[in-house]
Amino acid sequence: MIESNQDPAAAMSERITFPGASRTLPTGEREFMMDVRTADLEINMGPQHPATHGVMRILIRTDGELITGAQPHLGYLHRCAEKIGENVEWLQYLPYTDRYDYLAAMNNNLGYSMAVEALLGEEIPRRAQMLRTICAELNRIGSHLIAFGTYGLDLGAFTPFLYAFREREWMMALFEKICGARLTYSYLRIGGVFNDTPPGWLQEVEHFCDVFEEKHKEYVDLLMMNHIFVKRTADIGVIPVEMALDFGLTGPMIRGSGIDFDLRRDTPYMLYGELIDAGAFDVVLGSGAKGTLGDCWDRFYVRVMEMIESIKIIRWCLGSIEPGPVIAALPKVLKVPAGEAYVGIENPRGELGHFVVSDGGKVARRVRVRGPSFCNLAVLEAIMPGTLLADAVAIVGSTDVVIGETDR
Amino acid sequence: MEFEGIIQRLREIGAPGLVSTDEPRAADPEDKKDKGRAGDAFVLVEPSAIVGFLAACRDDAELAFDLLVDLSATDPDAADEQFWIDYQLLSTTRRHRLAIKALVAKEGAEIPTATAVYRAAGWHERECAEMFGITFVGHPDPRNILLPDDWVGHPLRKDYEFPTEYHGISCE
Repeated sequence: MIESNQDPAAAMSERITFPGASRTLPTGEREFMMDVRTADLEINMGPQHPATHGVMRILIRTDGELITGAQPHLGYLHRCAEKIGENVEWLQYLPYTDRYDYLAAMNNNLGYSMAVEALLGEEIPRRAQMLRTICAELNRIGSHLIAFGTYGLDLGAFTPFLYAFREREWMMALFEKICGARLTYSYLRIGGVFNDTPPGWLQEVEHFCDVFEEKHKEYVDLLMMNHIFVKRTADIGVIPVEMALDFGLTGPMIRGSGIDFDLRRDTPYMLYGELIDAGAFDVVLGSGAKGTLGDCWDRFYVRVMEMIESIKIIRWCLGSIEPGPVIAALPKVLKVPAGEAYVGIENPRGELGHFVVSDGGKVARRVRVRGPSFCNLAVLEAIMPGTLLADAVAIVGSTDVVIGETDR
Repeated sequence: MEFEGIIQRLREIGAPGLVSTDEPRAADPEDKKDKGRAGDAFVLVEPSAIVGFLAACRDDAELAFDLLVDLSATDPDAADEQFWIDYQLLSTTRRHRLAIKALVAKEGAEIPTATAVYRAAGWHERECAEMFGITFVGHPDPRNILLPDDWVGHPLRKDYEFPTEYHGISCE
């Protein structure tokens, strides 16, 4: 309460003083503190926050601008995929796989099909494997385009998002031509692929590759090397090597921390062994080029540059694909030999694992899905404390989670 | 390293709790009821020794299993008296995998937590706990993760009965 006989300006300067205390922020800058008391504050980021890319809630505890604790809360999109897997026939479960990581449905189809094929021991026709590789890599590009576009959007860059969706639209049109669906494809089936390509499809994919390589240069200039973008992402959300391994991170998250590991190269499945022998693609690693190794920029860099590696893989397949059958002869109602198998494949977000158990019947005993987003998200609890609230969006965006997959 | 090499190394270093191994095999042509087993080989480990076993897998320089990729439970059958708990390990440097299985009794199911060896186990164990009703002894944060806190029952058990309503919302 200001006394009436006191000069208001003098009273104000008395209350707001600069005692000279300061603290060092995570960015290295020093912040001078007023003698204002800061209190612990709980902030709910989500469940409907645009930067969580779905319905997820992160409970953030702050002290002023500093985050002192973060706790992700999941389950808003839980659809019991694993329980459904125990109640429908083997082939009937395939459309459900589209729906966990809905940005990479082809890759999900592939992971589930490969797990069932591991029990069946069926030979997959070569043309089917080629088509699977082309579709999986095209979908990887589409998924990384979303990661690229929405990350810019999170950080306030709207234009790259429109550019990314322009190319993704073309990719979806290609998938629409081959299987009729734009998002949930169910094109890769147990034993091969659903149908052969329509006439001229492979030529159009080649044309897409030509155009995409040119456009990709724009992405690099427009966003990845943009000074403002680099300032918002470099040195932020650093994941050291030990932490990345301890939390079981996979995919671009672990490669962003400089760990040279890619399932496509290191546990070769399908045609990837041949691709490696032919030197058709490289594994992109983060190097700390703009800041510290394992920061948000490194993870972003891995995703952007992986798109070009996917183009190389597609080109190799287009160069060596030959006519032939596209699906193995399997009965309509599939009986899978008794046993259990775990198959992990490299999804755009990391290792997608399917653990399937069969008792020899028409229905699975267990379909366990190991979603990469689920594991990658757990690291937020460890990297968010000690950062600034303004960087929370940058860190969450850099994990590139798809909530459909964390919750399944 | 192949599966045989991994097992040999585990025996050499005396990994605690190693019970047996199970490998896929073809059906016996003599026995008509035998259908064989397909899929992956795995090792069977004593549940009480699982933490020591995982630590041995991680710390040995030749095995170097630095990633716990997956941890899941399975209820094989309503008539069965045991749950399976499956661990999938992966080595980023040696580029090999290992599947580990521990069998725990359904009645009062419990197993020590693996979070001290791999922090990745934390969320997986929370999921297993709510879906199967398995207690992970010593877990630092044993809350539900995907289900609401007041959910009744453990949905992935084979004897689970589907609820007819939840907070006045009909589920039928």
